[in-house]
Order: sequence, then structure tokens, then C-alpha cells
Amino acid sequence: MTKHWKLKEIVLMSILGVVFGIIYLAFFLVGQGIRNVLAPFGLAPFGYEIIFGIWFIVSIVAAYIIRKPGVAFTAELIAGVTEVLLGTAAGPGLIIAAAIQGLGAEFAFAITKWKDYRLRILILSGVFAAVFSFTWNLFSSGNIALAPALLIAMLAVRIISGALLAGVLGKWLSDKLAKTGVLRGYALGKEIQKKREKDAA
Amino acid sequence: MISSINPTIKAFAILIPGILLSFTFDVFTPLVYFLFILIVTFTMSDIPFIKWLKIFSPFLLVALSFAWMTILYTNQTFSYGEVLFTLFGIEITRGSMITGISLALRSLCFVCLSILFALTTNSTKFMLSLMQQCKVSPKITYGILAGYRFLPMFRDELQILRQAHRIRGFGRTKGIKGKWQQFRRYSIPLLANGIRKAERVAIAMESKGFTGDTDRTYYHEMNVSPKDWIFFFLIVGAFFIILAFSYYLGYLNIFGKQF
Amino acid sequence: MKKMQPNPLLYVDNFSFGYENSEKLILNELHFSLRVHETTLLIGASGSGKSSLALCLNGLYPDTVEGISSGDIFYRGKNIQDFQKGELNQKIGIVFQEPESQFCMITVEDELAFTLENRKVAPSEMPERISEVLSAVGMNDCQNRKIYELSGGQKQKIALAAVLLLEPELLILDEPTANLDPVSRIEFIQLIKQIQEKQKLAVFIIEHQIEDWLDITDRILVLGKQGTIIADGNAASIFVDYYFLLKKEGIFLPKQFSNTVDSYPIPVKSPPPVKRDALITIEKMSFHHKKQPILQEINLKIHRGEFVAIVGENGAGKSTLLQLMTGLLTPQKGTINFYDKPVEKWDEKELRKRMGYVFQNPEHQFITDTVYDELTFGMKLNGWSTAELNTAATTLLKQFHLEKNKYSNPFSLSGGEKRRLSVATMLDETPDILFFDEPTFGQDAETTRELMCMIDSLRQNGTAIVFVTHDMDIVDTVDRAIVLYQQHIHYNGEPESLWKQADLLEKARLRPPYRIQVLHKEGESLDLVH
Repeated sequence: MTKHWKLKEIVLMSILGVVFGIIYLAFFLVGQGIRNVLAPFGLAPFGYEIIFGIWFIVSIVAAYIIRKPGVAFTAELIAGVTEVLLGTAAGPGLIIAAAIQGLGAEFAFAITKWKDYRLRILILSGVFAAVFSFTWNLFSSGNIALAPALLIAMLAVRIISGALLAGVLGKWLSDKLAKTGVLRGYALGKEIQKKREKDAA
Repeated sequence: MISSINPTIKAFAILIPGILLSFTFDVFTPLVYFLFILIVTFTMSDIPFIKWLKIFSPFLLVALSFAWMTILYTNQTFSYGEVLFTLFGIEITRGSMITGISLALRSLCFVCLSILFALTTNSTKFMLSLMQQCKVSPKITYGILAGYRFLPMFRDELQILRQAHRIRGFGRTKGIKGKWQQFRRYSIPLLANGIRKAERVAIAMESKGFTGDTDRTYYHEMNVSPKDWIFFFLIVGAFFIILAFSYYLGYLNIFGKQF
Repeated sequence: MKKMQPNPLLYVDNFSFGYENSEKLILNELHFSLRVHETTLLIGASGSGKSSLALCLNGLYPDTVEGISSGDIFYRGKNIQDFQKGELNQKIGIVFQEPESQFCMITVEDELAFTLENRKVAPSEMPERISEVLSAVGMNDCQNRKIYELSGGQKQKIALAAVLLLEPELLILDEPTANLDPVSRIEFIQLIKQIQEKQKLAVFIIEHQIEDWLDITDRILVLGKQGTIIADGNAASIFVDYYFLLKKEGIFLPKQFSNTVDSYPIPVKSPPPVKRDALITIEKMSFHHKKQPILQEINLKIHRGEFVAIVGENGAGKSTLLQLMTGLLTPQKGTINFYDKPVEKWDEKELRKRMGYVFQNPEHQFITDTVYDELTFGMKLNGWSTAELNTAATTLLKQFHLEKNKYSNPFSLSGGEKRRLSVATMLDETPDILFFDEPTFGQDAETTRELMCMIDSLRQNGTAIVFVTHDMDIVDTVDRAIVLYQQHIHYNGEPESLWKQADLLEKARLRPPYRIQVLHKEGESLDLVH
């Protein structure tokens, strides 16, 4: 599958991993602010749930820009590996988490046979990534021990975060990027160019 | 020394106990394993304690907050045992206490293992080893390295962006709204530049005869030696020994089921 | 048609190229050949598709970057379409313009090994080849250095080393010195000269600033705006016979071949009368970053309406000094006053109105989605009415020739347009002082000329200008030059007397302007006669 990809697309996925790694750190502070407020009620981890969607944005941005089967999954996986290389306290475990989130994100595009990249599908992709990652966390973080009501609340927050921070924000960012003209060599840039020509004609 | 262990073997040695640990819900198993990793960290690597502590300490807080949540909101399976005290009208049982502490210790184990990996592994060697041992394609391997290389440049660029925007009259804004504005202003230039760089570096690599072909020679031959397997069995084996002890002493708890 | 050498190295036959979705052809029915051992220089205005040509010759189009082409290119008589993937790339090496983005590995050693691995060289041979090539480019001790920590000039030498490891027959240099300071530039050109003499490569150079290349050039090709070759011949014939054509195409003529007046970007005018009141006063100022001293004991005044240039080698603290004067950084010792008040005591909003700062990379200053928003951004912050906004923006658009780009995204502009916009955004209110951080770096001649014209009109309005620059031809036109060397100010006075201090120039890695170099050369030849 990866044979058909261009080198520049792979480098792009890695760079997305680096840039969003940096951006996530900025969001992390927001998460901490919320966490501190919620901490006394034992709801501190919600602080991180709210920003969780940023983890999936790489999948959605890459898939929306490149538009090939497997991009959402691979982009997340590559971003995960890049994150490990960045050498914070992200260990190899992050690669597994990234693969599972990526599978979720890819699932939404697979349903539409990789033909539909409208906002609703991007949101769906964020939602699936949230559900997949949540399931993984039930096991890996031991969330399974939590009360069902709390789990449902957490899942809801994560889904909303995935839909908004990954789906909506991912599309918004990519569209803005396309306007800067740097995406001319990618599917999204070409589509916009075609549209412009159509409008002109 | 751990820094000389083959990175792929090291990654698996760290991954496997990490995953298996996720099955346990008692205090004894993760606690003893945590102590074991601490011993490994400070006897088999040259990580300076202060540096380690700087990275580790924020996660202590995260783990504590997580434990606190678990203690307050454990579900029925895990809130076994007598009630210890009541808070906000929630009854805290011995079981929920144990589960909370266990989960916190588990996440500290993850953090500790991750730090051990991150601080003893050369990124380039890790990628080269993934390519040579795990047959990751050269295209992916070098593509990732090419992107990763830009990290210091992005850091510098972020600094310049901050200054340039101040000149334009954007002061530092605080709070969530400020962060959101920052995100809007920084992400586009960073990404736009990143995409251009991705394109250029890909062209430069291909102009040097890189085709992504798996048939290539390796300047750094990444080998797996007996020493690597010894490390692997030490880290993974220790986990099973601790598991066995835990079972023998009657502490072991897997998914809420006491053994 | 031109007479063909019996066996050209590379033969381009009726080759055209355009991007997908674009009607305009970038390269239009090109017809030329490159010969063995020959050094060819390709010149052309920006946007004439020179870099695309380099990639086409290398067979990287249309595979790596999508495009549509017609016609053929032959390498030693074989159509480049018939080569295996990667095969042709090893015969033709390219060094690109941007030092930052042509590497994929962290260390010098690994980057060089990457090339060798691509060629499937046996690992046992690699160490020797790596140290050989490093000594060929004069970077012997850099094997284990991180590429990121090298200077621009060193990076380009490593890029060259990596390409030489391909043992190419043709070396393409795509503006390799555009982002280098003048001394590194000369070093790089000298290096190419040496290597060309030793290895007898064919060299194909794409350049804007050509004068330093001329003595190693056998032949010049001129690519016109329409994507066709409009001239082909040796330097003398091109710059004499095609003089007016080249000027019309907007190509910067080498100084040897143009009269002095138009090689100076600034129309020579008497500077506006300088009122001697100080805008900026720096006293006993020191600044360090993470225990590393960057500037020490700086005393400096900048007066109203003055044009000042700050020069010095990379890392001498020039940009830091600008950042200190504009209050982006605060000194640990000493004071910096703007008028009579320390910079840090100024109200941020008021300060930004009165001083402007143009960054090296214009993109860093853009914060909105359209040129219009970009221009009106500061005005909106200052609470202007819509009508006022409109009038001011229209004037600026017109003044900076950006009318047709009013609704374009700032990032999508050309290099020159971006530069103009970045200056225009600083002019919503006429600032008392404008700082420029290497504004001509990596820009073509036309952009530089435009910029210098803008600066001229600003000065007529009484704005003081402070430039950080490597371009000594610009420094030659300023009121005062300041040389930073090893954290201290080593010179502060008229540029004219600076050129006489050969020791300082060499120490600070400065290259006197062309005017002075010519004088020296003439002096030398006079010496020879006597």
C-alpha cells in the first residue's frame, strides 16, 4: 500500500506529527487549567479528555489533504512514531495508541470507500477515532474500573472533542492552508484549483 | 548499559510488560515492578537523577489526579470490601482505594519505562533498527526522519512568530481565548512552511538517488546480539516473576478477580 | 539553429513544461544542449521557471512534482524517460537554494552515508569516502556535527559533499548561494571552481547574482519570461549584444557590464537634513542568553531621519540588537531609551505605532487571510473608522503595487509581493523609526531595487531606518555603518572610512562593496605595472 505513496506525502505526515506535537503542548496548558478546577471533585482527567481530539487531527488533516486509502491510519501511526522520536515521556506504547486511533479515523473513510471528504465524514472520522481510543483506554488505563455513568460522560466528552477539535478544526485548518497555495501539489489543492477554474468558466 | 541495547528489542521489552500490566488491578504487582524499573533505570543507564526527576514529576501529579478520580468513581466490580470513609456522599471502599492506587502505580510504570526508553535511545538508530529488524520500508523510515529533523527549526520559528506578532500589536493574551487565538495565528504559518519543506526535502532526497527501494546498503548495521536478548528477558522476565510472587502472596487481581 | 557538438552530455529537444491545471507553460519549446566539462550559467527573471528546468533535467518531473511536459531530453543520447528510477539522479547531482531543507538525517556523517547507501556502496568503503569528500569541501572536522548546528555556508558545503558522493557527471547548482552571507558565498564559489578543475565535471549554474560566477563560466543561457531561451553565448556577447533585451526582461546585469548608476539600487540623492536629536539612546548595555554573552557594553545613538546599517558576521548579535531596541528583548544591564523613556516603560500599543520592524521572512508577520485585512489590521486595532481604513488601505495598495492582490492570501503572493506587503503593514501610521532584519536576503535584484526605492521615500518623510544586512553595496549608501564583532561595537561611523580598515573587514567577515573591489583591482594592476 505504501509503495504508491509519494515520498513528499510521507514527509508531510511526519511533519504534521512534529507541528501538532508542538501545538498539543500549548493545548496541554489549557487542559491543565481545566484539570486544576476539576481536581477536588476527582474529575481532573476530564481536563485532558477535552483536548483529546487534537491527537486525531493529524489523521483528518492528512486524509483530507492527500485523499488516498490508508492515509488516516498511516498518518496517525507516523505521527505517533515521530512523537516518540521527539523524546518526551512518550514511549513505544504511544505507537500502539496511535495505531488504534488511526484505525478508528480510517474506518470512517473506509465506509465511504475513500470517496467522500465532506465535513460530516471528517467529523465521523474524529468520532470513530475517539471511540476506538476510548476502548483502548478502557483496557490500557484501567478505565474499565470506573463507574458506568462516569465512563459514559468521558466517552461523550471525548467524542465531542474528536468531532470538533479533530473533525471541524482539521477541515478548517486544511482549507485555510489550501488558500495559502502550498497544497497545490496535493489532492485538496488540486480540487480547489479545479473549482476555481469552473467558477471562472 | 541500556543505551547500547538494540532499539527495537528495547521497544518490545518495554511494550510487553506495559501491555501485560494493564491486566492487573492490585497494588503489589505494579508497585514492585515500579521499584524494579527504578533500580534498572539508575543502575543500568547513566540518566542523571535530576533530569529524570524533572521529566517524571509532572506525571506524578497526573497519576495522583487519576487515582483520585478512580477512588471516587469506582464501579461495582472494583468497589469490594468494607467502606473506609464517605466523601461528597460517595462511599469509599477498600476495593476502590486499592484500584485507584493500582492504576496510579501502573501509569507511573508506563512513564518510567517510557523515560527509560526515550533517554537511552538515539532517534536515528531507532528508525534504522525499525527498518532493519522490523522491515519498515525505507521510504517510511527516511520520510519520518526527514520530518523529525525539522523540530528545532519549528521551535525557532515559533519564537520568531511570537515576536513578529507582538510587533503587529498582538500582545500576550491569557486564558483559553488567548490560547485559541495563538493556535489560529501560529498553526497556519508553521504548517504552510512545514508543507513546503516537506516537498523540498523530498525532492532533495530523490535527487540523491533515493527511490525507496529496499535493496540498499546500511552504514549503521543494526544487529541483535545475545546481550539484547538478556536485557529483553530481564525486563519481561522480572515482570512474570513479580506476577508469580503476587499470586503466591495472594495479592494478584486481574480485572477485578482475586486470585 | 546552433551547431551541435557531436556528443552533448545533455540534449534538450523542443521541451515544454507546465504545471497541471495551469494554462501557462513555464518552459516553452526549449532547445539547447549542455556539453561535457563545460560550465553553463542560466539566468532569467524570477518566476521564469529556472528551478523547474533543473528538476526536469534531473528527471524529477513529472513524477515527483506533478506537471505536464512535451518534447524530449536526452542524456548521453538516451532519452531520460528510459532510465530506471533513481539511475539518472546519480549521474546528475543538484545542490538546492535553501540550506535548511535538503537533508534528511541529523548528523553530517549519516547524511553523507545516506547518499552512499542509495548507491549501494559497501559499508566498509563508506568511512573512507566520507572523510575524502569532507576534506574535498574543506569540512574535515565536521563528521560528527549535527547539521542543524552548522552555519548556512557550512550546510551548503555539506549539501555539495553529499552530491559529490554520487560522482555525478553533471552538477546542477540551483541558486546555491542565495541564502548565504557574502563571504560564505565567495568561499562556496571558490570551492566549486576547485572541484570543477579537479574533477572535470560539467556544471550548470542557475543564479540571480552572477558577477562572482563569471570567471568560471564558459557559456550563458538566458531564459525569458515566456519560458523560452532568448540568448545563448559567452558572457561578453550576452551582456553587450543583448543588453537592452536583458534589461527589458528585468534581469540584474553583472556590475562589470552595467554602468554604476543602475547597479546601485538607490537613486543617488542627498540625504534629508538630519536633525541631531536622538531617537534611540543605548548606554552601557549588555545582554546574555543562557549564560552566553551576546552583546557587551554597547553604547549607541540613532538620530531622527538617519539611515544606519548594522553589519557583522552571522551570530555577531545583529538581530539581537534590533530585538533589544524594539523592546522584544530586555537587556540585563544598561539602558535603552526611545526618546527620553526606557523602551520597556513605553505603552506597548504606543510603542508599536512609533516603531516598525520588518522581519527577514515576510511570512512571519502575516496574521490574516487577505492582503486587505493584513493592511488594515493595525488600523483596526487603533480604532480607525471604516472610511479611514478604506482610504488608507487603497493608498497603500497603490503605493506598493498590490491592487490586484487585494483579496489574495498573503502566503500565496510572490517573494517580491510578500516583501512589499510586509513593509506596507508597518506603515499604517508613519513610524518614527523602521527596523529591517536582512530584508534583501534571498531576494532577487528586482525586489531589492523596489525595496530600496520604498526606503528612499520613507526617508523623505523623516523616518529613521535601521538595517541589518550583509549587502555591502547597500551599506555603501547609508549615513552610518556599525560593525559588531565579538559582542562589541568595533566601528561606528561613515561607511567610506570603514572600507579603509582592511583588518576589521577581514576579522568581521565583511566584503567591501563592488565599487571598492574594483578600485582595489585597479590598484593591484597598477602595482604590477610599476
